[in-house]
Amino acid sequence: MTDLSVEALRALPAKELNRLEAEVAARFMGGLPWGSVLWGLGNLAIWLSLWPLTLSGVMPLWLAFPIATLNVALCYLPSHEAQHRIIAREGEPLFWLNELVGHLSPLPMLLPYGVARLTHYEHHLHANDPELDPDIHTKAPNAWRHLLNTIAHRQPGSATGGNYGKALARIGTDEARRAGLVAALYTLAYHAILFTLAWSGFAIEAALIWWLPRILGTTYIQFYLSWAPHHPAQEMGRYRDTRAFRSRLGVLLSSGMPFHILHHLYPRIPLLRHGEAYKALRPFLVVRGCRLDGL
Amino acid sequence: MSRILPLIFQNLTFLFGIGFLAPLVAQILERTLPSIAGTPWPLAVGLIIGGGWGALAQKTGRWL
Repeated sequence: MTDLSVEALRALPAKELNRLEAEVAARFMGGLPWGSVLWGLGNLAIWLSLWPLTLSGVMPLWLAFPIATLNVALCYLPSHEAQHRIIAREGEPLFWLNELVGHLSPLPMLLPYGVARLTHYEHHLHANDPELDPDIHTKAPNAWRHLLNTIAHRQPGSATGGNYGKALARIGTDEARRAGLVAALYTLAYHAILFTLAWSGFAIEAALIWWLPRILGTTYIQFYLSWAPHHPAQEMGRYRDTRAFRSRLGVLLSSGMPFHILHHLYPRIPLLRHGEAYKALRPFLVVRGCRLDGL
Repeated sequence: MSRILPLIFQNLTFLFGIGFLAPLVAQILERTLPSIAGTPWPLAVGLIIGGGWGALAQKTGRWL
């Protein structure tokens, strides 16, 4: 049995430390994360069901609105698993399921899978780089300023609103061009659906099931999935661009993001295994000088 | 089509004001003041608020 205490790990030569860290991380990779698949598709099914339920008057809007907001807040992470090919890799028999979850899960937040995947890879490559990280606009000295920034970011003339488009242009591949085209179609379809519903007498329903939940849900996503784990977002490098943190809402209500540092180190560890993986890898993170903020 | 699409995207903020906010304001007014439902007033107010806000946001680049 290898001694994985901080003291023992500190005494190891760098090469052996790297090997051992990768070996421990590998224990948590692989297998099909059915939890994420059910989460992604089930969450979408619930959100879609809100439309007939409210339009037919079966469900009151005051109930549908918080459910829809929760649906948007929950819709990104299963797609995130797909972006990293955690459900299945290219060439594997269930790769279609990976892509299905990737495309369908984030529909409530109107995020095209291709855009999400390509820009997210850029985020991993350039985390906290002021020029190249497409998510750098979430950086702020404190939570309040972050919230103000997200409002500014959503304005039609915002300087950061086109970050993902710029990242796609920088990537410059046919795949990136296709993703940009799909994003334009998403935007057109979203507005066409909202306008049609609104002028058919269902403006309040559209506002409370999609428009407002999308604003609130993506605010939550940007806060917990981007600002909090990268705060203060001043350093770059494998072991310093992301942190572990204690969340006032706890691990569950912050979507498991207190362990997000693990995701940047080993993106193929499924989200639902982050807790146990963090426990196993924590001594390595201490030795590497990671920011763990008491977690 | 190649001329219409850029035109739509360039003016999407204003279109959102007219296409979504205007009927939204109108329907909120109709539900909160049932006595004016069925008259042209809710839609007129909706178009003034939604269209005006959309036009302002289109011009300034800011909703808020």
